[in-house]
Amino acid sequence: MSIPASALQVQSLTKVFRGRGGAAVRAVDNVCFDVKRGEVLGLLGPNGAGKTTSIKCILGLMRPDSGQITVLGQDAQAAYPRILGKMSAVLEGSRNLYWRMSVWENVLFFSSLHGVASHDDREYFGYLLKLFSLDEKRHTEVRKLSQGMKQKASVVCALARRTPMVFLDEPTLGLDVETSLELRSVLKRLAREEERTFVVSSHDMDVIQDVCGRVVIMSSGRVVVDDQVSHLMSLFRTKAYRIKLRGPASEGLEERLAPEFAGARVTDGEADAEIRVTLSEDGDIYRLMDILRSADAVIDEISHEDADLERVYLEIVREERARS
Amino acid sequence: MNLGSVLAAVFRRDWTMMKRYMVNSISSLVSIYMIFMLIFAGLQSVSSYVKTGTLDGSLEGTIVGFFVWTFTIYAFSNLSWNLINEAQTGTLEQLYLAPCGFKWVGAATAISDFVFSFVPIMLLLVAMMATTGRWLRMDLVSLVPLLLITLLGAYGVGFALGGLALVFKRIQALFQIMQFVFIGLLVIPVRVPGVKYLPLAMGNDLIHAVMVDGVRLWLLPPGDILTAAAVGVVYLAVGIVIFSLCERVAKNQGLLGHY
Repeated sequence: MSIPASALQVQSLTKVFRGRGGAAVRAVDNVCFDVKRGEVLGLLGPNGAGKTTSIKCILGLMRPDSGQITVLGQDAQAAYPRILGKMSAVLEGSRNLYWRMSVWENVLFFSSLHGVASHDDREYFGYLLKLFSLDEKRHTEVRKLSQGMKQKASVVCALARRTPMVFLDEPTLGLDVETSLELRSVLKRLAREEERTFVVSSHDMDVIQDVCGRVVIMSSGRVVVDDQVSHLMSLFRTKAYRIKLRGPASEGLEERLAPEFAGARVTDGEADAEIRVTLSEDGDIYRLMDILRSADAVIDEISHEDADLERVYLEIVREERARS
Repeated sequence: MNLGSVLAAVFRRDWTMMKRYMVNSISSLVSIYMIFMLIFAGLQSVSSYVKTGTLDGSLEGTIVGFFVWTFTIYAFSNLSWNLINEAQTGTLEQLYLAPCGFKWVGAATAISDFVFSFVPIMLLLVAMMATTGRWLRMDLVSLVPLLLITLLGAYGVGFALGGLALVFKRIQALFQIMQFVFIGLLVIPVRVPGVKYLPLAMGNDLIHAVMVDGVRLWLLPPGDILTAAAVGVVYLAVGIVIFSLCERVAKNQGLLGHY
């Protein structure tokens, strides 16, 4: 049997929720994406964009209205629940673990449900606990751990199942900066060391930019971008500008720029001012210049800015909203 | 997927939980014992009444009824309460990710519930017998199979209510009502037409014969055992069907993880 190149294929996935008044909400609307083996895919989008619903449909926790999901070459619906042997997940907004059991007891329980319980497996669990700095807390009841440790323990429990695919839904939500960075660096390391496929959802672009190779951006239930993070950044790098003005900026300049260019910022210095702006269309530079001229601004210097995913994302979501 | 390892994992989890909730487990047993003591006190004060045939006619009958009722409550409420708790906390969705399918995790949980409630409830029985001075036959070979047959119906109700709780959420009141319905099912004599087709009733009658009259399992009327078993299986099957339907609705509406 040939090994399929795709770890996951999602085709025309649609999920409609019907409210009490009969109003239908298309939480996921004809979503298609592909995840290659060994890839770390980011699923980025604001709250309510349909990330969690998509993940839950893939995992069989929700029944989609239509669409096809193929996991490692197998039709997920036809192979349910056996196909779950290939997938594990940390789900957002719930506990994922038994709080009255220790970290180790949770790891053993959930991995046994996946039939992972050999001596070699246990050594691997120990390795994971060390990697996530949870080794000392191994026999502590989960409820006694800090929020960050609880989250890390959930991730360990998912990874301990040794599945080729791992879904992490908002893994850094509610974590302090330090723990978030730690979790991210461990995930990057694991993704490099083990040839597993990760799908990481987040509304935090930093996380995606840091951890993922490719990003699928969702907005209002639809996929609006599906691209390599690096490509997306270079695309936008050419459009992000920093303009230095001689003398302070005139009153209300930022207010005039903001409606035209999303995320435009003006910072006043002692004897100068700086404008950061992302241009999305070819004619934008002329409109920008027109505004600056009418504000009597004297331009000292124009330079490219390094794009970050946050600006890219804000721009994309803004365009998407304007279109719909 | 090895179901044995799933069963072992569930046993280990429940054993751990039982240790962690030891105080809880003991206090619930003690409160059941207190309720029994109240009934016993009441029965003594109307003892002449008792002899005429109400409440199945005897104190022994009451002990047996109470013993079976406790088993029933444990079987049914462990199943549905655990389901609700796990849905509330979010572990339910993780159980739904088990490659053997949730139904086997649920079945393993039901089996482990029975095993872990067996010893405490037996202790309760001994306490009840010691208090009343009426010693019943503890013929485990006859008793355990009959208990299992009888409890099938209770598990059926547990699955059905658990399923309904997934969809409709706040149905705890229904659980409490159910406890009283169970008392009814254990108190009405099976000679009343139709009663033997209700859950628990026939099995309870047979357990009564074993414990009070000292009849061995193989000397009981085979037709009655068959009826009790068939009734148990049917109610269990109906419960599982209701659960599956509710699960379907919950998955359609995305309710598994939300409470």
